Amino acid sequence: MADVNITVDGKKVTAPAGTLLIEACKSVGIEVPSFCYYPNLSLQGACRMCLVKIEKMPKLQTACTTVITEGMSVTTDSPEIHQARKGMVELLLGNHPLDCPVCDAGGECELQDMTFAYGAAESKYMEAKEHRDEQQWSPVVYFDRPRCILCYRCVRVCGEGMDVWALGVQNRGVSSIIAPNKEDHLECEECGMCIDICPVGALTSGAYRYKTRPWEMKHVGTTCTHCADGCKTTLGVRRSDTGMEIVRGDNRDKSGINGDFLCIKGRYAFDFANHEDRLTQPLIRKDGRLTAASWEEAFQLIGTEFGRICEREGGRAIGVVGSTRTTNEENYLLQKFARVVLGTNNIDHHRTADFPAFAAALSGKPEMTASMRDVYNAPAILLIGNDPTEQHPLLAWQIRNNVRLHRARLYVVNSQSIKLRRQAATFLQIPTGTEAAFAAFLAGDDSALNVTSRDQWLALRERLRSEQNLVVIFGSELRGENIGSLLKFASSIPGAKVVCLADYANSRGAADMGLYPDLLPGYYRIADKSKFHDEWHGIPQTPGLTIPEMIESGASGRLKALYVVGANPIGRLGIDPFAFSQAFVVLQDMFLTETAVMADVVLPAANAYEKSGTFTNTCGDLQILKKAGEVATTKSDFEMIVRIADAMGFDVRKLVPFGRGTPADMGQSRGAQSGEADRHGVWLEAHGLEPKMNPFDPMAILDETQRLVPGYDVSRMNLLAGNDQHTTLSKSGPGALHNPELIVPANNNLFSSGTLGRYSRTLNSVIENSNQQPAEVAAD
Amino acid sequence: MPVLKNIAAIAKGMSITFREMLAPTVVENYPDGPGPLKGAKVQERYRGVHVLQRDENGLEKCVACFLCAAACPSNCIYIEAAENTAEHRVSGAERYAKVYNIDYNRCIFCGYCVEACPTDAITHGHGFEVAAFSASNLVYRKEQMLAPMPAHMGANAVFNQEEVEAGAPAMVAPGE
Ligand code: SF4
Ligand code: SF4
Ligand code: SF4
Ligand code: SF4
Ligand code: SF4
Ligand code: FES
Repeated sequence: MADVNITVDGKKVTAPAGTLLIEACKSVGIEVPSFCYYPNLSLQGACRMCLVKIEKMPKLQTACTTVITEGMSVTTDSPEIHQARKGMVELLLGNHPLDCPVCDAGGECELQDMTFAYGAAESKYMEAKEHRDEQQWSPVVYFDRPRCILCYRCVRVCGEGMDVWALGVQNRGVSSIIAPNKEDHLECEECGMCIDICPVGALTSGAYRYKTRPWEMKHVGTTCTHCADGCKTTLGVRRSDTGMEIVRGDNRDKSGINGDFLCIKGRYAFDFANHEDRLTQPLIRKDGRLTAASWEEAFQLIGTEFGRICEREGGRAIGVVGSTRTTNEENYLLQKFARVVLGTNNIDHHRTADFPAFAAALSGKPEMTASMRDVYNAPAILLIGNDPTEQHPLLAWQIRNNVRLHRARLYVVNSQSIKLRRQAATFLQIPTGTEAAFAAFLAGDDSALNVTSRDQWLALRERLRSEQNLVVIFGSELRGENIGSLLKFASSIPGAKVVCLADYANSRGAADMGLYPDLLPGYYRIADKSKFHDEWHGIPQTPGLTIPEMIESGASGRLKALYVVGANPIGRLGIDPFAFSQAFVVLQDMFLTETAVMADVVLPAANAYEKSGTFTNTCGDLQILKKAGEVATTKSDFEMIVRIADAMGFDVRKLVPFGRGTPADMGQSRGAQSGEADRHGVWLEAHGLEPKMNPFDPMAILDETQRLVPGYDVSRMNLLAGNDQHTTLSKSGPGALHNPELIVPANNNLFSSGTLGRYSRTLNSVIENSNQQPAEVAAD
Repeated sequence: MPVLKNIAAIAKGMSITFREMLAPTVVENYPDGPGPLKGAKVQERYRGVHVLQRDENGLEKCVACFLCAAACPSNCIYIEAAENTAEHRVSGAERYAKVYNIDYNRCIFCGYCVEACPTDAITHGHGFEVAAFSASNLVYRKEQMLAPMPAHMGANAVFNQEEVEAGAPAMVAPGE
């Protein structure tokens, strides 16, 4: 759009035509106060705080609703404007309790700031202020009516942003009140967006209620540990008896891929960390009972047992199950531990999407994966399967707002009438289980054409073929070679990009880091020669066992030990808990899950909010985790894996590249590994990085993954700065086509999150509430 | 007449001695004096160990707004807030301080907390005997600083029944 020149307080400002005056001012650092204006929501013009003087206009104008025009000359502050704004504040305070000392917004309240800036805290009214009791609208949403300044931000974000429309306005004029959709309570997605966006303390959160005050917390920006979308969240932490307690989650830092958004899980479901069942010391099974033991004792026992089994039966007799919620560094370390220390390829994880087939379909193609930001900016989106509103709240937000703000065309193909159909340009409901047939049809296989809705299928394909820069998103309904068909179609569309949807926070990372019995990190096959074979000096050549094969092998007594890190295969995959009754089972977890029933040693683990590392979201966006909470007596999985390797008598330097290499190894001369350069040292040198000095430093493994895993060589600076970095799959290994049965979708919804979700008080209270069991809610 | 001169000098000296002998004492008889202060006398505005006040209904005035903690230059106030319920009402507002600690290892008795308090809940009392054998005993809990219930509410922790009957003042801050 053409640029328009205006003058604000004597400063020349140039902005595209159509820009709002308030935004144009902001772009040159002039802040115009506002309550009801919020970027990307519809205009309201309700609060009149943004009054400015525009030359040649008789009265003061609202900057939030005025579009700039050529030659406009604006004054944003003068005694007249000041007086007008002061008048507005005075009216807002007319009935406002100003009980800031007990108000959760105190300290970060926009009304407080304005009262401080413009005065008017002393009212001219003689009448007593009208009091209304605070109302609890849901387990997480509280409403204090006298504090509401009627800016309608909550109404708009819930409706326009969330497409929930749970909040509305009752009455008119001065008697207007914000009201929930069910008389005295809310039935909604409980995302807390309304609370976050409320400029005052009218809407407050049940989870954070009265816990502390904003300035008392330290704020740590990290990545959400629930679904696979990878929202950036800011956790407020406070010291506690056991270390650091997380008391609040929000996204005050709006620089993440999620912008303003967080769903209920990212915002409130951090409370599993303080659950009363949290394990705080190692447990060893003695006489059939798990009894508390010391860390040394536990590591010693595991080291001896693993060492004995490796010696007697070889690594083949040990199975390893990794996690979809541990960091990339831990996943990489775990599979390296299995392959290099134990000498086995028996490693697997709970698979919720077929990434190896996705990698296979992408190999040899130009870069074709879409980032979460692409989903928000794409001109057209095709969604096949899945229900993002429930399973990928951020993805759904990106799609909805792309449609609303950028007029993207959304095509939804699903067997259910999912909620996103409301934004769809075309919604095609197909019979259950025919997603694969539809993918084949898109790729040009007309034999798959559904007879009853033939015309719609054909019409949709025609429309899709005319699109450009289409983002294709598919759920776990598509697996194996069907992904290949879809990719064949996608590559026929210019600029098309693809997203494969998995279910857990680091499902993608687990796949990328090679938690597969036949695939190494970066989807290289065990059977093919790859750089890992040189680097790690000998990887077992035969593919290992998948989880179902481990069960079988355990039941028949061939598998002598099982090492489970942060997973609950018994609970989530419905495995017979007695399969391993003869085997030595080690579990690293936060709680005594179903899997702990069969464990011989249980080690208390730190969760993803309590350690540093990286996560890769389902789109392949790599993001940093920073340590926020702490329970002092737990350890990170990273440390535990290294300690176990050490207890087995393994040279830990071969597992984690820490400490300096020999200077002679810097590439010029012959070094320790008979004629080989210290490639790691050379790489570090070339990237201006220092060797890490601590065997428990995940950054040492990040060095190695960035060096060896294709696509992960992103800007370290940006990564550490907290920016999302898209990793590409185009340079990965050939991938593989696995048995589609190995994929078990988690089927989480908005209020559930695998095993972890069961330990969140907030999620449970919301679930109980929606189950309409008032007695239990009252006990909350 | 050196003798007369000497006598005059002695008389002058002794007059000071006798005048001071008969003057009222300046030094207080602490710690052997009467009353809870053991004979010590302090100025009214003396800033001693804090007292957390109650309102006329006996409810705590502190609403756990954390402003004192924010104002404190030595960062020695620790608070945990909780919500009042109908069954368990502690303060007059929506919330109260479940935990309120002041670390007297660090407090410099500057009075900023008193200045910051919006509800006049925290005040300086006159307690000054804050020595302890262990540093951890210098972390005072809320219960140690809380004002007694007003006398008309039937509980006055500082005075025992005998003292009250003997005419002890109806409402005093502890340490006075
Ligand atoms: S909403 Fe703001 S101004 Fe009103 S009581 Fe709360 S903190 Fe104070
Ligand atoms: S919590 Fe979310 S869905 Fe519920 S009312 Fe608020 S904005 Fe709407
Ligand atoms: S509840 Fe908050 S966001 Fe909603 S209208 Fe009132 S002040 Fe605005
Ligand atoms: S959308 Fe996913 S990543 Fe974002 S807050 Fe919700 S659960 Fe966390
Ligand atoms: S008197 Fe000063 S140092 Fe002591 S608690 Fe109050 S603010 Fe802190
Ligand atoms: S911000 Fe302009 S009227 Fe509210």
